[in-house]
Amino acid sequence: MKKIPFFLAVLFFVSNAWAQELSVEEIVSKANNRSYYQGKDGSARASMVVTDAQGRTRQRQLTILKLNIQEGGDQKYYVYFHKPNDVKGMTYIVWKHAGKDDDRWLYLPAMDLVRRIAASDKRSSFAGTTFLYEDISGRSIDLDTHELVSSDAAYYTVKNTPKDANMVEFSYYTVKIDKNNFVPVKAEYFDKSAKLYRMIEALEVKDIQAYPTVTRMKATDLNANSHTVTEFSDIKYDVGLQEEIFTERFLRTPPQQWLKE
Amino acid sequence: MRRAFFITLAVLTLVLPLAHAAELPEWHGFAEHVYAGRISRDSLTKHDNYNILEQRLQLKTRYAVPGENFLSRWNGVLAYKGDFVLDEYFQTSGSYEVRELNLIFSPASMVDIKAGRQVLTWGTGDYLFINDLFPKDYVSFYTGRDDEYLKKPSDALRVSLYPKAANIDFVLIPHFIPNTMPEGDRLSFFDSFQRGIAGRESERNAVKPAFQAGNMQYTLRIYRTFGSTEGALYYYRGFDPAPRSYLDEAARRLFYERLDAYGASVRGPFAGGIGNLEMGYYRSRQDDDGNNRLIENSMLKWLAGYEKDLGNDLKIGVQYLFEQKLNYAQYQSALLPNDYFWDEYRHLFTQRITKLYRNQTVMLGLFNFWSPSDKDGYLRASCAYDISDQWKLTLGLNVPWGEDGITDFGMMQKNKNAFVRVRYSF
Repeated sequence: MKKIPFFLAVLFFVSNAWAQELSVEEIVSKANNRSYYQGKDGSARASMVVTDAQGRTRQRQLTILKLNIQEGGDQKYYVYFHKPNDVKGMTYIVWKHAGKDDDRWLYLPAMDLVRRIAASDKRSSFAGTTFLYEDISGRSIDLDTHELVSSDAAYYTVKNTPKDANMVEFSYYTVKIDKNNFVPVKAEYFDKSAKLYRMIEALEVKDIQAYPTVTRMKATDLNANSHTVTEFSDIKYDVGLQEEIFTERFLRTPPQQWLKE
Repeated sequence: MRRAFFITLAVLTLVLPLAHAAELPEWHGFAEHVYAGRISRDSLTKHDNYNILEQRLQLKTRYAVPGENFLSRWNGVLAYKGDFVLDEYFQTSGSYEVRELNLIFSPASMVDIKAGRQVLTWGTGDYLFINDLFPKDYVSFYTGRDDEYLKKPSDALRVSLYPKAANIDFVLIPHFIPNTMPEGDRLSFFDSFQRGIAGRESERNAVKPAFQAGNMQYTLRIYRTFGSTEGALYYYRGFDPAPRSYLDEAARRLFYERLDAYGASVRGPFAGGIGNLEMGYYRSRQDDDGNNRLIENSMLKWLAGYEKDLGNDLKIGVQYLFEQKLNYAQYQSALLPNDYFWDEYRHLFTQRITKLYRNQTVMLGLFNFWSPSDKDGYLRASCAYDISDQWKLTLGLNVPWGEDGITDFGMMQKNKNAFVRVRYSF
């Protein structure tokens, strides 16, 4: 095992000591930026396998392009479906807004149809998987109140309670955040009777272009006894995405250079 | 269409050798079985107990032009989609339809060109079209084929420009392709020559405009977003896609009168959902003043729509369409005693409910058209189940109804059916 250089060890110790003193808002904000706002932009290929209670599997493969408009706030997403084959070529754009409903467009190539999607419910399934829209594009941290429930040598555990309980199906959720890099490694959702019914876990974290990145994650629905594992590949940050990618032009004519099969 | 087959073959032979990089295109598509049994017997059509029975094989591919030629520098992509159909209703030997065969490329950063056979759609309506005057297949719509087949392809050149101020789509369609409308063999319909709902005995025919320079169709859309709201202006110069005018009454010949359309639309977030407004002015160029009883008058159309996500994978949508026949006094005074006539105003409401179950693998859909002025309507219900990533089963109902046999849905009242589609995608 390599020796850790002394100054790094000191740095680690010092930063850890600082981290101890972070407020819960700072922790949540750092974790949120880590999960959803790294780099100016990014691209990745996501392969999702949905397994139902009977063990049957379904596959989703998509390319996701992401552009940060404002850190911790507005973002634009472009999604291209590679699989399943019956939706291959379908594209999807989201303009994520902080504080109001997202704008979403779906393009169905068979009909050359651009549909505007009314989507105020962000807690519906993403493309038929166990992940919800909010898991993919992030839940605004302003929607919950945050409470640091524990802090050990390696993890913070934050309890998040919705400000408006009628908007969501959970009563609260806890998130375990790695102290070293602020990567959320596990989220647990509790229903109105405080029973755990849903989990999201980071199964693998890698440094990509120096950004700690979750490369494999799993969502489990304990009620339905089903789960989805998502593997990200070809992850790239700061690729130089232009804002025009996220418009009707590229919805209808997918940008070839970003969508290698 | 044997000719289309050989054209495709020729193009593929030309393009495939370009695949020297051993990067052969992937082929995808589906095989599908469709059957629709009539809910009520209709002795007017070729078969009295069903109106569709067919097997379909769709193959499609996309091919990014490789290498260092000008087309690859322009991000050239060749797209092909074709259907082989065994139609057991007409007992034909099988047919082949090219739905897409086009080349997409960007010769400059602000320009996209799509040339060849393609499906074209724009506008804001849901199953209602004002400024989308591209050809449609209403026989597919009423018999229970997939929604994809409501849209017919056009042979067109589409030039899209993206300057800062607004985006511009210009489409040139040299060869007129009309809507596919019920003609009596498969679906009975109102035939004024037969003085009522007619089937196989219908002898009317529609004369298409000749393929010549003066009959080219042009259409234009200028659009942009204002924050989250989309605005668009439309222009169309061509022909009515449905044969609504009489060329020769004695010979039972109809024709597609010349039509100009000017329109506008907005769509954006509204009251917790998505709202849209669209209008169009149809100018009937061959009967501008409305005095010719044989030619369709000019029209004014307005559409308002609203869609909302109620949560738990439940979505609802409502629309209201208002149509006004212009120069109505002239139209009335030009009518002859035995002529059928249509009202000045038409009001049409639609409602859509979509609910997903079982992790979005089961979809229940209900779409209703209802016109209080025409006293008719059309209920479309469907249930689709994604059995796996490959297999999909769809069951559905088409129930058009009406008090009169001359209105849009009322004339279809004998064509009520229940359909089943089984599809294997690959």
